[in-house]
Amino acid sequence: MKDRVTRRLLGMASFIGIFISLYTVFRAPLDKNLGIVQKIFYIHFPVAIVPYFAFFVVFVCSILYLKTRDRKWDKIAYASAEIGLVIDTALLVTGTIFNKPTWGVWWVWEPRITTSLIMWLLYAGYLMLHFSVGDIERRPRLTAVFGIVAFISVPISFMSIRWWRTAHPLIFTPAKIALGEALDMQMWIPTLIFLASMTLFYVYLLGQRVNMINLQEEIQDLKDEIGG
Amino acid sequence: MSYLRHIMALVQKDIIAELRTKEMLNSMLIFALLTMVMFNFAFGSSSAMKAVSSGLLWIAFLFASLLGLNRIFVHEKDENCLDGLMLCPIDRSAIYFSKAISSFIFLSLVEIIALPIFTIFFIQESFLSHLWLLIIILVLSNIGLSVVGTLLSAISINTKARDLMLPILFLPVIVPILVAAVKSTELVLSVSSIDTQQFWIDITVWLRTLAIYDIIFALVGFLTFEYVIEE
Repeated sequence: MKDRVTRRLLGMASFIGIFISLYTVFRAPLDKNLGIVQKIFYIHFPVAIVPYFAFFVVFVCSILYLKTRDRKWDKIAYASAEIGLVIDTALLVTGTIFNKPTWGVWWVWEPRITTSLIMWLLYAGYLMLHFSVGDIERRPRLTAVFGIVAFISVPISFMSIRWWRTAHPLIFTPAKIALGEALDMQMWIPTLIFLASMTLFYVYLLGQRVNMINLQEEIQDLKDEIGG
Repeated sequence: MSYLRHIMALVQKDIIAELRTKEMLNSMLIFALLTMVMFNFAFGSSSAMKAVSSGLLWIAFLFASLLGLNRIFVHEKDENCLDGLMLCPIDRSAIYFSKAISSFIFLSLVEIIALPIFTIFFIQESFLSHLWLLIIILVLSNIGLSVVGTLLSAISINTKARDLMLPILFLPVIVPILVAAVKSTELVLSVSSIDTQQFWIDITVWLRTLAIYDIIFALVGFLTFEYVIEE
């Protein structure tokens, strides 16, 4: 009962947060060079950060599962991979839309975009692996090991624009933030609000998804009990 | 010391079993050669081929390795040998390292035969003076392919899709190896003299990438393999 109230509240908070973010996005000043096109940055940035976080959760929960053998961690890892993959898809889509007016082409094979795509493919593989192991006893172990292996793509993708010179801009460095060059003050507000509400939305979906998996298993147990 | 002896005994077992049938080696080799022939038809003239030859070389090796990796646990699983191995009073990670070493050996054997043929087909220039550098690249890449491939092959053998699963899991994970191997091979094949400072700066970056990748995944495999094979 308490869980349900928490989930409801999280859901409401994230929806309200996203509406407020959208409002602040259009209140923020126009970009000097990019104009209205730059607005997509406000969604592009949170959907870039949240998958990193989601896949980090997969990584940590996979290790915890192998250590404790508690099915709870496996469920969280799977739910997080699923949501991370959806948000990562949004990242690739917004990135492609952003590319066309700024770089003139839809797709560039540069490190940031390529590593994001590889990350997407790895976690798509993770989900395929999940569906491909029928044995419920064995599945959590195998997906947990792959959840650990696949995580290698996350630091590579994150560091790609720091390691290699690429076309993708690097906005958030400690030095730039300290000097106030990263973003205009009025652009910081929607960026941070959007990031916060996107994270809330992720947590909300995670709770819902884990709950759904629990219910599915409960139904399956009941079915087995009556011999259906 | 007995840990090493265990690994060596298991590697010996794999090699003897393979030499009796030569199934895996033959198919890997023929497959690598076939890939090269297909490249010839797909890409046509030799001038275009030369620019991308190191990429083609690695694609051929990569798919050959995939073919071999698919097989390394098939016999063990089908004949229930894996249960026997797990009953042995040895550390589970010894099984992992022995499998990784055998697939390293098989892959290297295929490459030893395929590389000269590839050179005759597509490169046609001598790089014997810095062949040793190419050997280092091959060894480092093969280690990476084997340590990752063995772990993922053990995972995919447990799935319903079996050998369909391995490429989907394996290819995105080894992208860093492919990038580093292709770039460094390109450097070795295109350079006339290896004595310039710039060459060494460039090549150490890629060799270091390969080495770090090998160490990370050997560790991951060492730590997680026992969870994959336990029943």
